[in-house]
Parts: sequence; C-alpha cells; structure tokens
Amino acid sequence: MATSDDFTARLMNDMDPDLLDFVKTKVNTFIKWDLVRFFHENPNTADTVENIARYAGRNVTAVEPELNELVESGVMEIRHLDEIPVYSLTTDESMRRIVEEFIRACEDRHFRVKAVYHIIRGMR
Amino acid sequence: MQRVKTGIKGLDEMLHGGFLPQTANLVEGAPGTGKTTLGMQFIYNGITLYDEPGIILTFEEFPQQYYRDAAAFGWDFKALEREGRLKVIMTSPEVGRLDLEQVGGMIETLTNEMGARRILVDSLSHLEKLTDDPVELRAIQYSFINALKREGLTAVLTKESPALLGAAESEESIAFVVDSYILLRYVEIESAIHKALLVLKLRGSDHAKDIRQFEITSGGIEVQAKFEGREGIMSGSPRLSMADSFVRAFVKKEKP
Repeated sequence: MATSDDFTARLMNDMDPDLLDFVKTKVNTFIKWDLVRFFHENPNTADTVENIARYAGRNVTAVEPELNELVESGVMEIRHLDEIPVYSLTTDESMRRIVEEFIRACEDRHFRVKAVYHIIRGMR
Repeated sequence: MQRVKTGIKGLDEMLHGGFLPQTANLVEGAPGTGKTTLGMQFIYNGITLYDEPGIILTFEEFPQQYYRDAAAFGWDFKALEREGRLKVIMTSPEVGRLDLEQVGGMIETLTNEMGARRILVDSLSHLEKLTDDPVELRAIQYSFINALKREGLTAVLTKESPALLGAAESEESIAFVVDSYILLRYVEIESAIHKALLVLKLRGSDHAKDIRQFEITSGGIEVQAKFEGREGIMSGSPRLSMADSFVRAFVKKEKP
C-alpha cells in the first residue's frame, strides 16, 4: 500500500529527469542555488572566493566549500593566477544549457517548491 | 590617419575623427555624468556600426546592470553576447591585472577568439585599491594599459571624480599615462544643472579645445554646441563673459 510519503516523493520527482538530477546532485544546497543564479545572470564573472562571497553577500567560509563542490560537479571551473584560485562558470555548452534550463524552470513556483523539497531532503 | 570612431554624435568631430587605434582613452567625471554610458556607446557603436567586437571589463559593477542600462537605450547587449561580438566580464582589479599579465589569460583568449578591437574598463579607479604607493600605482596603471594595447585593443577607461561640481583636487598621475583625456562635468547655470565635455588631451593629434554641452538622450550621449557667452565652465559655476554681461545690462531688455 502506497504511503503519503511515496505519493509526495512521486509528485516531487515529477520534473525533467536532467533537471531532477541537476537539483539532486549539483545544486543541492541553497548557497549553490544562489551561486548558480548569480553566475547565470553574470556569466563572464571570474574572481576569487573572497570577492564571490562578497558579491553573494555571504561569508567566505560558507561559500568556499560550495564553490569547490560546484567545480567537482562540472558547473564551475577553477584556474590559478599566481597560485590564487579564480572561479568562473564552466565553458562547457551542455552544462551551461542545463544551468539555463534550471534558472528558467525556477520562474515556475511549482518547480521551485519541488527543488526546495529535494534540497531540504538532501540536507537531512 | 586611421581613427577609431566612437560613433557618438559630436564627439568624433571634437576628436578630429575619433580615437587613435590601440590607445588608452580616459573619461573622467563625477557620478552620473555619463562616463559608463559613453563607454557602453563606444562599445555598442563599434560592434553595430563598425563591425569591431568589444569587451566590457567591469570591476565590481554586476554585468546584469550593464544589460539593463544598455537596454534602456535600446542596445541589446545579451543578443550581442549570444552572437559572440560582446563579452561583459566582471572581475576584481587584482584578478584582472594578474589575468592580463599571464600568457593565455581569459582576456587575451577572449580577445583572440572574438577578434575584439575595443574595450571599456569601468572603472580604472579601482586599481587604486591595489596599492597606497603612488609610484607603484602608476607602474600598475602603466602595465595594465600596455597589456590592453598589446592585445590590439582601443580602450576607454573610466575614472571617478569625487567632486560633483568643479575640478577635483587630486594627483592625476594617470593623465600622463593615457593617450587621451576627456573630462565630463556638471555645470550650474541659472539654477539648472547642465553637462559639459572637454577633450583635455589627445596625444598625436589635434582636437577641439572648446567646452561643449552634452545630453544623455534616449539614444545615448549627444554632444552639442559649445557654451556661449560663459566663462569658468569647468569651475562648475560659470559666469557671464564680460561682453555678454554688457549686452544683458545695456542692450537686451529683459522681459518682466
């Protein structure tokens, strides 16, 4: 017999599979969501973690691990200038397309609710 | 002599045809005088009128602000980015400087990929954050500007002036490093604020020496006629010239 939890999970999984994967495995925290939105709106930004944290209005300790995870998942890129790590949005076209689709999907309230659900579940 | 036209009504005439290629051109003015608008118009006209792709390098001002401001003039920067003819890059002065110094840095790579010919750096004032030593600052500015020239770019560099009216009191070492120097000023005339533009210097070329009025219209900056019958324009509070004072006092009868 299906429980209400199963029903909720099915309902919340009802989105494009690529976007579902993106939310579950890449933008799986609220800070990452903020960062992805920032880099989508300002796509040619390249800067240090300190400055990116300032642009996002957050502290460096909170932003740095999230940025590094976005690098690991291929959403962001990192390069070193005189050993200073500089972050920017990936130049990979397919990943940029997913980011674009995610931000467009976020304009829909129902999608946002589902994304928030997955992020909160992932944080447990 | 070959010129890099700004396409800004009245300004190219003042510059005797435009900027010289691969030069650094400083636009200095108080907040709101139109420095960034002038720079964006230089980039937009370069792309759309002269087929010269461009880069906007911004320190701290978010690119989305440029997209919005440009759209207000009917300039679709996002579309130009999609076409690969424009890039609005945001970084910090320290990263921008290090990037330009590197072989194969982001700006160098983009310039080559896009075939960029023009750049707007908004604003050069942010380089002042890199050091308190004026000698070191001048060396940083000199190296930064030379790197832009090395890439074959003609640059418009904006600089903030702290004084709203009149001349700012500061050591302007940058004036010696750049190839041209344009001043934008607020001018108060009869309880109304006007805007004035002066080409202070254009290395390697003659240029107009008069002080012109300009307006920011729905299509961008338009440089108009020079201020007639006024003296002390750049002080911010001009007075009538002696001849005009005489005419006003004794010849013209003011309507009650």
